[in-house]
Amino acid sequence: MFSIFARSGPVIYITSKDIFTIHGVQITNSIFYGWICGLALMITLILVARRITVRPKGGFIQLVESGVTFITNLVESSFNEPERGTKYVPYFVTLFFFILFNNWLGLVPGVGEAFKIGGNPLLRPFTGDLNATLAVGVVTMGLVYVSSIREAGAKDYIKHFFIGNPLNPMYLFLGLVEMFTDMTRVISLSIRLFLNVTIGEIVIAVFAYLGSFFAPITAAPFTLIELFVGALQAYIFVILSVMYLAIAVNHATANDHDLTDEPVTETMRLTPEKA
Amino acid sequence: MIILADAVNTAIIGKGLMIGGGFIGPGIGIGIIGGNYMAAVGRNPEASKFLGQALVFIAIIELFALLAFASIFIVS
Repeated sequence: MFSIFARSGPVIYITSKDIFTIHGVQITNSIFYGWICGLALMITLILVARRITVRPKGGFIQLVESGVTFITNLVESSFNEPERGTKYVPYFVTLFFFILFNNWLGLVPGVGEAFKIGGNPLLRPFTGDLNATLAVGVVTMGLVYVSSIREAGAKDYIKHFFIGNPLNPMYLFLGLVEMFTDMTRVISLSIRLFLNVTIGEIVIAVFAYLGSFFAPITAAPFTLIELFVGALQAYIFVILSVMYLAIAVNHATANDHDLTDEPVTETMRLTPEKA
Repeated sequence: MIILADAVNTAIIGKGLMIGGGFIGPGIGIGIIGGNYMAAVGRNPEASKFLGQALVFIAIIELFALLAFASIFIVS
């Protein structure tokens, strides 16, 4: 703000704050803004979906449509048999637009310090709260686990962790390490999204503070970077969860001789430069 | 040394070391990914379609830099 009100440092919020309670349930500012964003997202996409035509007319509708096509192609091309991936497309398209809208609407001027209630900011980006991203990550990984077990069957799902016969101690150890890595996925997905958004907020706050009177000019380049990062993180979240799903499903549909100890001769014939 | 510890806020030194040390590795990693991507595109321009995958790996690496950045708020 003005240099008269200059503080000793930029004001940064790492966690979300409680703003009011409903029957003893504390409502934080990030979930409050998440409701607003969710409503806005629903209304916007329903309006867009009603006005879609066969011959594209351009404009905002075209942008949404190209985003949907992009994610659809991404999901379907990840599977060995694209028709297996078709039924997961709606969830991942929803996920992409949800994260994208929440990331971008968190950059709107006014979100953050502008409005205060009880000394705490009224609005905070929904994805700038670890609880929110953890919820998204748990739901997504729950879908991945349930549907990969359902597609592959429980036995094949356990088997896909092992690159060879589990009775071999080396393969057994590697398989157990792989299982442990699988459990860290929900944490790494949610922490990546949370830290990117929160640290973007912090960087914008720091450079707005450094600019003091010229805060809009100094903070604008970093806001533009955050626009890019927000879109990239939505894409990364979707492509990583699609990959986790596709790995388990593709293993189940692969041939059985991939999972034995015997040397694979066919693969060596297919790649002549290695033979 | 006791006088030095009184005169200097050692937490600030710690934060600086955390940021500096934590950003070295991801910097090297993103450099390797970007360099190899550009080398692949220079050798075979068709390879430019793998930009999305390169960005995925950059985002995976970036997590560790962000963790280092986030950790400085724990030090006081």
